Amino acid sequence: MWYSAFIRFIRRRIILGFIFLLSFSYCGLSYLKNAGLFNGNDDEVAAIKRTQPFVWRSLQQHNASDDDGCRNSVQGKLLIADDRGYLCPRAELLRNGCCNSLGPGVAQYDCDTCRPNNCCTIYEHCISCCLQPDKKEVLESVLGRASEQNNVLIASVADHFELCLAKCRTSSQSVRHENSYRDPEAKHCFGDVAAVNVDGEV
Amino acid sequence: MKSTTIKFCSVWLAIYASITAVISSEYSPENDNDGYIESPICCNLTTERVEVNYTSKIVENEYIVMFNGYYTDEARLNYINTALNTSGIRKWKVLSRENPASDYPSDFDVVVIEDSDKMEGLNALNKHPAVKRVTAQRMVSRTLKISPKQRAGRSLNSNSKINAKNQFRHINRRLFRAIPRQITSVLQADSLWNMGITGKGVKVAIFDTGLSKNHPHFRKIKERTNWTNEKTYDDGLGHGTFVAGVIASSKECLGFAPDAELHIFKVFTNKQVSYTSWFLDAFNYAILKKINVLNLSIGGPDFKDHPFVDKVWELTANRVIMVSAIGNDGPLYGTLNNPGDQMDVIGVGGINFEDHIAKFSSRGMTTWELPQGYGRVKPDIVTYGSAVKGSHNKGGCRSLSGTSVASPVVAGAITLLASGVLHRGDVINPASVKQALMASARRLPDVNMFEQGHGKLNLMKAYQILNSYTPQASLSPSYIDLSECPYMWPYCTQPLYYTSVPVIVNVTILNALGVSGRIVGKPQWYPYTPQQGHLLEVAVTHSEILWPWSGWMGVYLSVTKEGATYEGLAQGHVEFTVESPPGDGETDVRESTVKLPVRAKIIPVPPKQKRILWDQFHNLRYPPGYFPRDNLKVKNYPLDWNGDHIHTNFRDMYQNLRNKGYYVEVLGSPFTCFDASQYGTLLIVDPEEEFFPEEIMKLKRDVDAGLSVIVFADWYNVTVMKKVKFYDENTRQWWMPDTGGANVPAINELLASWDIQLGDRVFEGKYKLNEHEVYYASGNSIRKFPKNGVVVARQLTDYGAEIIGESDGFLYDVPVLGLVQTKSNEKKSGRIIVYGDSNCIDSSHLETDCYWLLDAMLEYTSTSHLPNVFKDNNFKGWEGIADTDTPRRMEGNRLYRYSNVLEKSLGEAHAKPVPQCPRLAWSQPVPLNVSAPSDLYQSQKLLSLSDDVHVALPADNNIKDASGVDGNGDFIEWNWRNKPAGAATARPEDFDLTVTVLVVLSLAVIYYSVRWCKPKPKKRKLCKRLLSIVNCRRTSSV
Repeated sequence: MWYSAFIRFIRRRIILGFIFLLSFSYCGLSYLKNAGLFNGNDDEVAAIKRTQPFVWRSLQQHNASDDDGCRNSVQGKLLIADDRGYLCPRAELLRNGCCNSLGPGVAQYDCDTCRPNNCCTIYEHCISCCLQPDKKEVLESVLGRASEQNNVLIASVADHFELCLAKCRTSSQSVRHENSYRDPEAKHCFGDVAAVNVDGEV
Repeated sequence: MKSTTIKFCSVWLAIYASITAVISSEYSPENDNDGYIESPICCNLTTERVEVNYTSKIVENEYIVMFNGYYTDEARLNYINTALNTSGIRKWKVLSRENPASDYPSDFDVVVIEDSDKMEGLNALNKHPAVKRVTAQRMVSRTLKISPKQRAGRSLNSNSKINAKNQFRHINRRLFRAIPRQITSVLQADSLWNMGITGKGVKVAIFDTGLSKNHPHFRKIKERTNWTNEKTYDDGLGHGTFVAGVIASSKECLGFAPDAELHIFKVFTNKQVSYTSWFLDAFNYAILKKINVLNLSIGGPDFKDHPFVDKVWELTANRVIMVSAIGNDGPLYGTLNNPGDQMDVIGVGGINFEDHIAKFSSRGMTTWELPQGYGRVKPDIVTYGSAVKGSHNKGGCRSLSGTSVASPVVAGAITLLASGVLHRGDVINPASVKQALMASARRLPDVNMFEQGHGKLNLMKAYQILNSYTPQASLSPSYIDLSECPYMWPYCTQPLYYTSVPVIVNVTILNALGVSGRIVGKPQWYPYTPQQGHLLEVAVTHSEILWPWSGWMGVYLSVTKEGATYEGLAQGHVEFTVESPPGDGETDVRESTVKLPVRAKIIPVPPKQKRILWDQFHNLRYPPGYFPRDNLKVKNYPLDWNGDHIHTNFRDMYQNLRNKGYYVEVLGSPFTCFDASQYGTLLIVDPEEEFFPEEIMKLKRDVDAGLSVIVFADWYNVTVMKKVKFYDENTRQWWMPDTGGANVPAINELLASWDIQLGDRVFEGKYKLNEHEVYYASGNSIRKFPKNGVVVARQLTDYGAEIIGESDGFLYDVPVLGLVQTKSNEKKSGRIIVYGDSNCIDSSHLETDCYWLLDAMLEYTSTSHLPNVFKDNNFKGWEGIADTDTPRRMEGNRLYRYSNVLEKSLGEAHAKPVPQCPRLAWSQPVPLNVSAPSDLYQSQKLLSLSDDVHVALPADNNIKDASGVDGNGDFIEWNWRNKPAGAATARPEDFDLTVTVLVVLSLAVIYYSVRWCKPKPKKRKLCKRLLSIVNCRRTSSV
């Protein structure tokens, strides 16, 4: 009968071994596939590189008028800093997003609440101060260090103003024990902050 | 050689076993059937417990015949006929179905067989080629049991079935299994999809456990970033995938906005670790990327985490619409989680598909404002968060529950809305979206505002509102009706009266005019003369600058002297104007005028004996400091964090007192700031704060003049305190408690002038007082008490020694309760009661309540009649039976950091000068001769552009859940601070082909390998040969 012939065929070592190997490799493959379907290895956190060249504010822009409008710091409670480095009360903000450079209480490159360590009490002061042309050296070292540390945020900023906006925000560098500021009085820093040893103090 | 073979075989067996284990790991739905509901009767002073049970029974003689396909009535009857006629059954009939579906072919019939030879008939039916199977007809019934929770007075045992009479049964036919619901169709997202709105052009950020790149459900994962210390972007946990799925899945279990741009931020490791600093950096990146909607299905109790809280404000200020889960710590009050509790964030609570607040959903006012103020109304809105379907991280769908689920439902809905109104440009901002959601939300009946906020999300109506929205300011709550029950709980539970502590309503101002704004001038109070508005005194405080897009306003209500004997309602409204700088391209300042209707119920001043003053000022809590739990046996949550307010974790006690006819007022300032002649009893429960020397002196004078004091203390032992310190992973520091359960050294100083002192040991145990069972959970003992007082002592164990590890197992006679009439010769002076434990009146970690004990104490303090329960148990000669030391403050404690009383300038911490008592500047009334409508609540109206912008609203078809089960899915528990998160187990819903093939194959392989490995000589040889082949190969390959 074909049946018994089939059984005999099946029982041959080589066939058994073949079936075994086949099933084993299928199992292995499907397991790998299953595990790797959504968790592919191509996914490892890769080094983050700047895709576009960083644009510094030129001296020309430094003196330019506010014809074509400005970007500004958006969020301020009372103050706004624009991308030319002007700091103004919200009331002095023009329709094009620039500070009215002639208005009362408006200043350019205002480092009013900033300290020698490049940390300021008020966010908008930090931005305005950071845009000052002579702070370029400090910021270059920030950029350098950021690319060393694979900092996604700093790698994504396009120009001088965006760098100042991003760098002045409170970040992981600003906290101690996670739930309090290292320095509540000057928490907005555009320079690099020296590492502080984490002690066991409550 | 042989042993290797066996090992090899056993490896296969192990693989097989693990595979089957994976497949058979059926999830077990959490039995979450019982919830608390408020009684619909006014003033809901009773809480009822609802229990739902299911039973199913077989209906005799009725059978369901399933066919292979769909056949007409006639054909089906024919088949049954032939089958049954061959079996010789005579008495049978097919039940006719009178419904519209009967006109169409069907695949089943219900057959009644009344013959004695049923089995034969059934077999015949089963054998018929067109019949798939025959099953017995079942009837499923659900029984609903509502029983008032046993609170007060006379019942002995909270488990007793006294209320059997009150049960009512509700029996009807139920589906066996709830139909798996697409959350999007329940909320009618398909109507928006049909209009071409699919989330396109909106950037959504999901801050969670990550998402895999190739997950088949997602169309547009724009970017994935990782902010953790784990080297992957993928979600190993399933939380992030689920949340992303609810927002944007485009296959199987659908999400709201499949075409939205997804930005995945991994801020949680697969081990559920996260730090504030990771969040800060990730948030900064979200601002840079100009994210529109950000979902945070996370939360924690630490609202004093300033860097985090400030950052969330900053995001809102940058126009990011923040949506966050309110927390999974319900049904206890005072359990709101940060950042969901922030005024700029949309805090989302959970309901089930039966429109009941899910039991797990956190609730109650915010506790930031305590002790002087009163909490904000949160959550802002509720939506489905129970058994919602979403994406599984390994493909397919799963069903989960939790406010973590409700939050992405709202975030997804907002994304969809935002993409539908992209043409409105700048009009869409965090405030306007929140206003639209609140104004469109549908209020759930019989649920108070601290549980449901503005009500249930209504997507279509929100779209309609946003489409014609014009920038304005609005309020939450939008009106104040202190007499409306149950929505305005707890305000509606106690009317206003002359001389009462002013009632405070914390109103949130949403200002969609601009990120920053201010209130012009002063809010004006307009009493309505025909409705006795002039009897109300109103004071308003508010944030100086409304930022970001929001602000707060405290409305203080009190009764004028003129209203001392008035009983009835009083009405009026508060009005003010909000101003913001001009918007883009505008020259004029933006303005919006807001009106807040006010109504209150006034009663004549209640008698002094019935008035109780609750001391809130001396209650400290986490955050900021580590104040340990009052029940040391509860180990999984070490902190005392619910605010210790009569409307949070002492809510049940408050309701009990109100039921008993007492009026409870809250003192948020030092003892020097109240008029003791107005009150019968001062209630000091579990104080952690120190007392000013002036307070101690004033209290002495007050008690001499007739004020009674009840003190509920708690455990205190320095060694135990040192023992319960812990290392906090989140802040990477050691946490040492600054007091015990209560600050007993401070209490002792307060009570010293009456010669009352508490000890420093921790006792625990159950005891009986007459017929009442009492649980004494880690409490204190009385060390000194006046001779003329009554002291009750009971046998307890020394739990402190057990914690320290020196348990002796002895039962000590411990004086737990002391009652004394001060100056026993003159009855005019007050009475003092001290009890050693506060756990039995505190709803958090409550085991057995003792509200009856509090009632008995109040009977004594208010009438000076000593109830029998104390008289009977007076323990003479108790002195020295439980030998304790005088408790001392812990050396080097840092209480001064969190205290409102202490300060530390050089050396020892000492009391500050007593602060000035708060003085309210009552608003100058401008009476109006108008009448207000009798019902203040209308669904909140927002101003719109014009009336001709109409959006077709499809008929509202609410799909009701048949199951009535609160959480018939896995439960998502999520917290990023101090809490272990519950594991969410996987439940694959779809049949996995690969796994099946794998199992079949491995079965075959096992079969063969077992045959090979059989210890027959021939086979062994085979085995050997095989192995030698393998070995050969190996050596050759080297």
